[in-house]
Amino acid sequence: MITITINGKEIKLEKAMTVLEAARSAGIKIPTLCYHEQLEKYGGCRLCLVEVEKMPRLQTSCTLMVTDGMVVRTETEAIADVRRGILEFLLINHPLDCPYCDKAGECELQDLVEKYGPTTSRFREKKRKVTENLQDPVIVRNMERCVMCTRCTRMCEGVQGASAIAVISRGGHSHIEPFSGNRYDCEYCGNCVSVCPVGAIMSRLHRHSYRPWQVKENIETTCPYCGVGCTLVAQVRDDVIKRVVPKIGSPVNNGMLCSRGRFGYEFVGHKERLTVPLIKKAGVFEEATWEEAIGLVAKRLGEARDKHGSGAIAGIASPRCTNEDNYVFQKFMRVTLGTNNIDSTARMGYAGAQAFIENIFGQGATGNIISGLSNSDTVLVIGGDPTTVNPILGLQIRACSRRGGTILTVGHVPGLQHFTPMELKPGRRQETLLLECVVTALVSRKGLPGSNQRLEEKIKVVNADIATVAGQCGLHEKEMTDFIDSLAGAGTPAVVIGKELVQACNSGYRLFLACAISYLINGRIYLLCDHANEQGVLDMGCAPDLLPGYRPLSYAEFRKRYETAWKTTLPEKNGLNIFDMIAAAGSGALKAMYVMGENPVFNLPDSKTTVAALQKLEFLVVQDIFMTETARLADVVLPALSWGEKYGTFTNMERRIQRVRKTVGREGMEDWRIVAEISKHMSVRMHYADSGSVFEEITKVSPLHRDLTYDEIAEGATIYPYKGEPLRGATEEIRTDRGMTCPEGGLFLGIDRPLFHSGTLSRMSPALGKICPDAVLRINPETAATLLVADGDIVRVSTATGSLELPAVLDKHADRSVVLVSNIFEGRGVLGLMAAALDPVLGSPVLDTIPATVERVGKAKV
Amino acid sequence: MGNILLKNIENPNSAELCEYRKSGGYAGLQKALGMEPKAIIDEVKKAGLRGRGGAGFPVAMKWTFASADPKFPKYLLCNADEGEPGTFKDRPILEKNPHILIEGMTISGYALGAEYGYIYLRGEYPAAKDILNKAIKQAYEDNLLGDNILGKGVKFHLAVHQGAGAYICGEETALIESLEGDKGQPRIKPPFPVNVGAFAKPTVVNNVETLSNLPYIMEIGGEAYAKIGSPDCPGPKIYCISGHVARPGVYELPMGTPLREIIETHCGGIKGGGRLKAVIPGGISTPVLPPDKIDCPMDFVNMPKHGSMLGSGAVIVMDDTVCMVKVCHRALKFFEHESCGKCTPCREGTGWLRSILGRIEQGEGNEGDIDLLLSVAGNMIGKTFCPLGDGAASVVQNFIKHFRPEFEEHVRLKACPVGK
Amino acid sequence: MITFSQTTIKEIEEIRRKYPTSRAALLPALYVAQREFGWLSPEAYTAVSDLLGVPEAIARGVGTFYAMYRNKPLGRHVVQLCTNVSCMILGAERLVDFLKNKYGLEPGGTTADGRFSLVIMECIGACGTAPAMLVNDDFYENLTEKYIDEILEKYR
Ligand SMILES: Cc1cc2nc3c(=O)[nH]c(=O)nc-3n(C[C@H](O)[C@H](O)[C@H](O)COP(=O)(O)O)c2cc1C
Ligand code: SF4
Ligand code: FES
Repeated sequence: MITITINGKEIKLEKAMTVLEAARSAGIKIPTLCYHEQLEKYGGCRLCLVEVEKMPRLQTSCTLMVTDGMVVRTETEAIADVRRGILEFLLINHPLDCPYCDKAGECELQDLVEKYGPTTSRFREKKRKVTENLQDPVIVRNMERCVMCTRCTRMCEGVQGASAIAVISRGGHSHIEPFSGNRYDCEYCGNCVSVCPVGAIMSRLHRHSYRPWQVKENIETTCPYCGVGCTLVAQVRDDVIKRVVPKIGSPVNNGMLCSRGRFGYEFVGHKERLTVPLIKKAGVFEEATWEEAIGLVAKRLGEARDKHGSGAIAGIASPRCTNEDNYVFQKFMRVTLGTNNIDSTARMGYAGAQAFIENIFGQGATGNIISGLSNSDTVLVIGGDPTTVNPILGLQIRACSRRGGTILTVGHVPGLQHFTPMELKPGRRQETLLLECVVTALVSRKGLPGSNQRLEEKIKVVNADIATVAGQCGLHEKEMTDFIDSLAGAGTPAVVIGKELVQACNSGYRLFLACAISYLINGRIYLLCDHANEQGVLDMGCAPDLLPGYRPLSYAEFRKRYETAWKTTLPEKNGLNIFDMIAAAGSGALKAMYVMGENPVFNLPDSKTTVAALQKLEFLVVQDIFMTETARLADVVLPALSWGEKYGTFTNMERRIQRVRKTVGREGMEDWRIVAEISKHMSVRMHYADSGSVFEEITKVSPLHRDLTYDEIAEGATIYPYKGEPLRGATEEIRTDRGMTCPEGGLFLGIDRPLFHSGTLSRMSPALGKICPDAVLRINPETAATLLVADGDIVRVSTATGSLELPAVLDKHADRSVVLVSNIFEGRGVLGLMAAALDPVLGSPVLDTIPATVERVGKAKV
Repeated sequence: MGNILLKNIENPNSAELCEYRKSGGYAGLQKALGMEPKAIIDEVKKAGLRGRGGAGFPVAMKWTFASADPKFPKYLLCNADEGEPGTFKDRPILEKNPHILIEGMTISGYALGAEYGYIYLRGEYPAAKDILNKAIKQAYEDNLLGDNILGKGVKFHLAVHQGAGAYICGEETALIESLEGDKGQPRIKPPFPVNVGAFAKPTVVNNVETLSNLPYIMEIGGEAYAKIGSPDCPGPKIYCISGHVARPGVYELPMGTPLREIIETHCGGIKGGGRLKAVIPGGISTPVLPPDKIDCPMDFVNMPKHGSMLGSGAVIVMDDTVCMVKVCHRALKFFEHESCGKCTPCREGTGWLRSILGRIEQGEGNEGDIDLLLSVAGNMIGKTFCPLGDGAASVVQNFIKHFRPEFEEHVRLKACPVGK
Repeated sequence: MITFSQTTIKEIEEIRRKYPTSRAALLPALYVAQREFGWLSPEAYTAVSDLLGVPEAIARGVGTFYAMYRNKPLGRHVVQLCTNVSCMILGAERLVDFLKNKYGLEPGGTTADGRFSLVIMECIGACGTAPAMLVNDDFYENLTEKYIDEILEKYR
């Protein structure tokens, strides 16, 4: 216990802290500028100087640690003078443009000057002038307002880890550069915007459009983009989201955001949003009333069921919709239509991989706390770049490195390159072999733990020795043994598994090997997750083999339970998964489909086949917020409310259930309400007053969610296994079939996963579009050279399924045997070109075996 | 007292290992390696050696802290950033007697348990870099550096790290930042370098001259050493005198030699028979002294009693042709240029002071400008992150303190009165 | 794009081994880049950044902090004249004027033929032999106008 006295007040402290923190804990305000709770201590601005007895000089309270018996004064006349002096220094070069500056009202300098500041300036010289800089797509800079607190650079380097900006030059010439004007390594996270105390760095999105004090509401909600599920605060005025800011202290992202979370909100108010139901008549969409549209959907679905049987109808749910939407949707499919033909794009990898991992380690094995990653002593990354797929999770890996942890990567991970990872880069095709070798070496080094016999049976079969594998992978034996030694010596390791592993050939077998590694080193598994509610869509039972609560349909006792709850009988057999559905539609076995908040034409491999299949349907209804590639094929299009306009919950990759809140109003219905309306028209009444009553039903029927309430969830601590029972012991054999063999040689098509986008939702956010406006083909410079392709040249990339023309971007991080294209931009999606086989174990498409050719068709524009 | 640190520097080959050895070089190391590290530190303590970099901190105390810290490896950094204007005392050691420094560092490294040493050499000394590198190479070849020094199982590695033009890197934590590949900006203390220094490990930073004393202390023992010069801070001291004296240059004299003696006796008084006007006794950051204040022993203990500081022992002598406003202005230009920019008062204040001084010098000063100078300097002093900013402000305060009428005349006449 | 020669890459790797982190090799690597490319152009920073794995903005922040790194192209020979107090009181300002009038060399500027650049230095540690300057890496002390003429003659 430390006792100190501040301004005559005795304060007892449990642990060591700075004088500033101690003062704040006792409600004593000390002015600060360079201090920020998220950042490393700096002590540069000198505003927080205080008097400390027995110390000769004034001390910066933000850096001084308390000691027992310390006596501090923070508000003497002398100190006020000092602060006035410091503020005078800060103002000599600061423009006094408060009436024009968007920061006015929440400017820390303004507030300080108001309290302590000089009223006149004695500075007669010319002020430094810097013109406003609008080079950057999302940030506006007025660097003459900069007070050199370096909060932005400490954020960028020390927390975000992008190191895109730095203090350039020194002394009075110091200035912050270059932001993304020069496109160094800017990740457009905007976290510099969050910490800038003055109006030097601000978001362009709301420039001159409102004053901070005009914000009507600060609404806390959950980011709509990735599986991390960051807490966002939407600031709303006049029913428009003006700005999105993070919240310090929120459990997942604690004050941090990525570009998508911070700048990606504009899709909500996009002018191309669907507003009225559309019915296709003679090939042309016509606007219709809700009555009409709902009536028609109910009628056609009913007819299809009656004529062809329930098995001829299928539904696709959405990892972007809330738990409530998805729950009602699957209930509609199962109860109203009587089919288990329901699935989602979680089938592209997440669902199969999670099921596989849980079959080995038990339910919830992937639900590890994201912030815990930074406390690991070792993080192994396999299968992609976590810093782009799940950026805020990526930050935790960077933090781990900064704290002295070891980062190991299989393959090259650009987002971690400045964090001194130990890399093993086998050719893409040798990855399986390499993982086998790691497993073998770990067994010989550490032995088998003996806690999971089923797994050990399988591990014992694996055998690959370092020398041979090093030769085959073109690696040095030394780098392999160092890597393996690090893994073997790990105390609190984590294993991060990305899509590139789950969508590769041998993916099931590779995942088994990754699990084996994790088991042998006693690691925690993190399975990267693309979409905000990818976990929730599975938890809600939007899968052909799962009931709500992630309960296997094949267990009669579970089925019983739901039959009782829903007062119905459920089909016993698993339904069609999303790939089966397309196949069945193509073969004519499926007659009608209901797609909610998903765009299978764009988001499933081989768009031609998908289009042909959907066109064969007798009836297709698509419910969405934009006219998507899939919606264009529909007979009826139903406009839904978006993320920003409704209440509900998302479940993130940690299996944390979080609230989504309505931020702005719009006429229309939530997805669940539309579905319930249709059901009502089909004489199966679903009675929910609001999303809360849907959730209440979920907590009654799903043992996983038992007794939860919205209020509890709002605390942010509702993490699996909640209060209910996790499922244990429901195990099947661990499969280790290898699936298709990796083809040798040649050039293959791969998926580019840019940090600035997430599926097709982000393409409707103009700000993100400005950062990353269009699809490109990323190609290794050496590969490009052999093809005579220069940076910026227009190239045609072709596969057996089709071709695209795109500008080439030479990217030294790209593998030599792969060219990468993203799956974001309309008409330029890479998945469309990929006619993929499915992995026999995971059921996910094998996307790294698509041969591609690249030819130059046009010169770079200069 | 003959030359100890600058022994043999008249010999054109003094930087060669063989020459150094001929005059008894590396005997101190030989002796030290036969002692317990703790015993060496005790000897240094008895010697009463204080750091020659400017602050005069007791060397043995610093070493004791670092050697007591359980973290390994430890680092020994030689501060060869000599940047304080007026200072050129380390340069002759670096260029003419590099082995005395290498020997001193090896002894220190052994005493501290530091296995790695770097000489942080200022970028403006390119010749010294080559000389040091050559000397280090020779020392490695003769097994005076390496993993098994003189076959005694002692390990010490040494390399030169070249600075790149930043005065602030003379400050020890800025120096460490710069060594680590960062901007030279001072760090928050505590933790002190002796516990968390270079690469977060216990680190001792000592000046070139300081470390070069080690061989001699080993040779004659701490007690004998303590008899040289001032009792409170004994030893030989290199003074460097520049400006209007007949014989400027470096002088190795016992610590505590009076300033007047240095100027009048050793340097032959004011050049060309001019009149002494002002002396900056310890490098530009130390308070300027008027002619009647130079009867002071030049050491760490006595100088503060006489209104200034020993600093680096860099004496700048000015005769009466020199304009004090101009010198003050030039000094502030230096501080403005060298301010690292980390803290507000120094970053903004040095430039502001410089511009006020500039306009006074140009004859554009206003009434009130001198008080404004004092007020701005007052707003800096005691509020900056490191002593650089304090130094800048105190230069202004001291010039005005001793030469206020000259400042006032500039304002009144709107021109420089000196020499007219 | 510019790249380091193979020997330079080796040299930097050797420097790298003198330190426990690659970041610590940044200052020496910037010197090497400056020597190799003449000045620290944006491309030079990219090359250093790639080689050491230090983010480019960081490298640039460091490279612009220190006065001896050249962040713009300079003449073939760099005259670095000290004008700090000891040199100033012994006539350094007169030498600045001399260089301006006779050679057209302004502080911070370069002669039209690209032969010389003039950089005003803070103290270069030659106060006892002031005024003093460095031309590239060579020290010249006790300068006079005539001596400067002789010295500059040597640099073509
Ligand atoms: C602004 C500033 C500049 C300094 N410059 C130097 C310098 O050039 N050389 C030096 O040895 N010490 C310099 N010092 C002192 C060092 O911080 C440190 O005290 C010294 O290197 C310790 O060595 P010593 O104990 O052997 O003197 C400077 C200190 C400050 C605050
Ligand atoms: S996209 Fe993911 S990481 Fe980024 S803000 Fe949203 S939830 Fe957080
Ligand atoms: S807040 Fe303490 S120095 Fe800036």
